[in-house]
Amino acid sequence: MNSGSKKLYMLLISALGAGYIWIIYQLIFTSHQQEKGLTVCLIKNVTNIPCPSCGSTRSVLSILHLDFPMAIYYNPLGFLIVSAMMILPFWILLDMVFEKESFWKVYQKLEQKLKKPSLAIPLILLVLINWAWNIYKGI
Amino acid sequence: MDAAKVDLFIMTNSKYFEGHQLPLIRQRLLELDDSMWNIVQVLQFKDPTTSLIVSLLGGSLGIDRFIIGDTGKGVGKLLTCGGFGIWAIIDWFMIQGATREKNQLRLQEALSVSA
Repeated sequence: MNSGSKKLYMLLISALGAGYIWIIYQLIFTSHQQEKGLTVCLIKNVTNIPCPSCGSTRSVLSILHLDFPMAIYYNPLGFLIVSAMMILPFWILLDMVFEKESFWKVYQKLEQKLKKPSLAIPLILLVLINWAWNIYKGI
Repeated sequence: MDAAKVDLFIMTNSKYFEGHQLPLIRQRLLELDDSMWNIVQVLQFKDPTTSLIVSLLGGSLGIDRFIIGDTGKGVGKLLTCGGFGIWAIIDWFMIQGATREKNQLRLQEALSVSA
């Protein structure tokens, strides 16, 4: 493994670990219907305006409770986060066990693709629309 | 390449690279052919100070990472409110180094493609 992929894998492992701890903490101490929970978002704490990914914790909790309409209402990005949190640990584990770099290669290809304006501009627009919706909802 | 030209390049562009990389870059440039000067001279690098300003203002949205070309990590920051706000703060201190690393990679790529 080269140093670039090693760094990325360590970063992802710590991010996934933090994510799982955060979700388990929320599962134990709060209900997913709760409107105003603990927030760690810098933008929301400073400006009181929600950021594009605010509400994704509630969205993930709703998915775990199989309440999909509510998950979409809180933040559609929750589905992306849930799929990443389910797939990535196994992918990274397999890569580490078999000493391959399949995820690193896919990551680099994806990075190149995302830099193309034809893909980047629609995605940026989607995020902006989601942000506007978040502000409108007052998540 | 001519030593005077290499030193000129190092002097004008030293702020774009890590200090410990500069001797290696100098060595590499000295070994190059003189015809490479035109390519090396017009290379554009990202300014670490600019990325620090962007990181302070838009770090929670991952804009700093997008700007230096770390698209994947930018998406990661964007989707997680700047990595629960912690990554955003860590990046205030890391982003200048990351920018210099990216510049180094860019120079390496340009030299290896045209060599």
